[in-house]
Amino acid sequence: MKKMREVVVAGVGITKFDSYDGEKGRPVREFYDLGSEAIQKALDDAGMEWKDIQAAFCGSVYCGTGSGHQAIQKVGLTGIPIVNIENACSSGISALRLAYQMVGAEIYDCVIAAGFEQMPRGPIQSTAWPVWQRQMGFNVQPADYAMKTVRYMEETGATEEDFARVSVKNRKNGALNPNARMQKPVTIEEVLSSRMIAKPLRFLNACPLADGGTAVIVCSRDKLKSQNKVVTVAAAALVTGIYGSPRIPGEDHVTKSANEAFEMAGLGPEDMDVVQAYDTMSPGELWDLEKLGFCKKGEAPRLLREGHFDLSGKLPVNTDGGLMSRGHPLGATALAQVIEIYRQIRGEAGPRQVADAKAGLAHAMGAGPNSGVIILKR
Amino acid sequence: MSDTKKTIPLREGLWTDKGHDGTPHLLGHRCLNCGEVFFPQKENGTCTNCHSTKLELIELSRKGKVFAFSVVMLRPPGGYYRGDVPYALANVELPEGIVVEGLVTDINQDDIKVGMEMELTIDKLHDDDEGNTLMTYKFRPSAA
Repeated sequence: MKKMREVVVAGVGITKFDSYDGEKGRPVREFYDLGSEAIQKALDDAGMEWKDIQAAFCGSVYCGTGSGHQAIQKVGLTGIPIVNIENACSSGISALRLAYQMVGAEIYDCVIAAGFEQMPRGPIQSTAWPVWQRQMGFNVQPADYAMKTVRYMEETGATEEDFARVSVKNRKNGALNPNARMQKPVTIEEVLSSRMIAKPLRFLNACPLADGGTAVIVCSRDKLKSQNKVVTVAAAALVTGIYGSPRIPGEDHVTKSANEAFEMAGLGPEDMDVVQAYDTMSPGELWDLEKLGFCKKGEAPRLLREGHFDLSGKLPVNTDGGLMSRGHPLGATALAQVIEIYRQIRGEAGPRQVADAKAGLAHAMGAGPNSGVIILKR
Repeated sequence: MSDTKKTIPLREGLWTDKGHDGTPHLLGHRCLNCGEVFFPQKENGTCTNCHSTKLELIELSRKGKVFAFSVVMLRPPGGYYRGDVPYALANVELPEGIVVEGLVTDINQDDIKVGMEMELTIDKLHDDDEGNTLMTYKFRPSAA
């Protein structure tokens, strides 16, 4: 990677994540409503106007053609290039990485990355599997995670109680996040007695779906409206699948994405004060922390038990409640991970603020596979 | 009984009903350059590991060990899967050094364990809209 100029975060915006489906008194809100709300909030946060934005990258998964254009036209029509990105659960970080590179390479001075989603109602067409595999019943995301969980248990001795503790920690943090879909804490007993969805994973091991919008504006330092508490994008990495089999073990794409990001940032895992790990399914947070380099394989369950990853712990993880509490609007999730790190470093995380957070890492991964890592620092 | 109804494989090329020993075998590709084995066959004729196009068609071992499994309690989205719920899936590691995902049959789903010996069986998946019986490969506990 070539050395680029410094890129800073000008402002962020996020909607409340919820099910905006018109049921049970909930309002109906379309993806472009959520996207444009987040974009407007990011502009307000940055003290900028739409005419300051020179290019836009918009992440979404199920929103169809020109989704970014539809969200942006509610804010302004200035003719700027808008590029839509579908990279599954990493769409938002993929968008931010491009925005970061555009500013870093001095092509533009001020670029917005947005991520939004209104999840489809009813059964989701699982185009990630060939038809014959869908006919065989392979197209169940939780089942994929369940098999990875079985391996993790086999190789590390982790237990279902350990996974329940992840849900408990994250839902406790989520109770402090007014933007989260789930704001009620759960107990270990509640998790362990919730209904099984794909053995050994239960309902409360899984993040709920949600609709939502997110936006992050990045710029060169001279374009900032305020030089107060400046947050720098220290790294943006995106890694896809690397061939591997039992015979030829390939490099793990998550580990590679973290290593690339740490190298770019000139920082290591020990320099991170707060982490947004990827918790679509609660066991995933544990092996994610290990793959990202925050502890050795099999150590995460013990560290979790000891409170290491709690809000008051040595390395707070998913301080906003993670996907487990926020809910998972696919295109919006990755930037929500980033926005929490930004809030923590700025000291704007309210009741869930981590003391003196100087640097943090946000991770998003998923189908593809993709693994996207953003490191922010003071 | 209508005699127009047929028994047809889910997909051509996944297995052969009569392999070299007269029993069903999954069909895969072995790369003649790096030795890597693939299932299903590489339709584009290229090894994902070393990119060689020198692949040979091989019959895979009938037996392997459970590498990972799950019992799925919900109906998969899209309506493609028409079988019973719950149903069991396993990743079975074959001696060739690859892992093959498949449905598990002929077992109490609570009894599936990592390391358990499994063998290939060809079994009914479901009836299609024309009333044909769709067959597929599955794994069942190995008969020792």
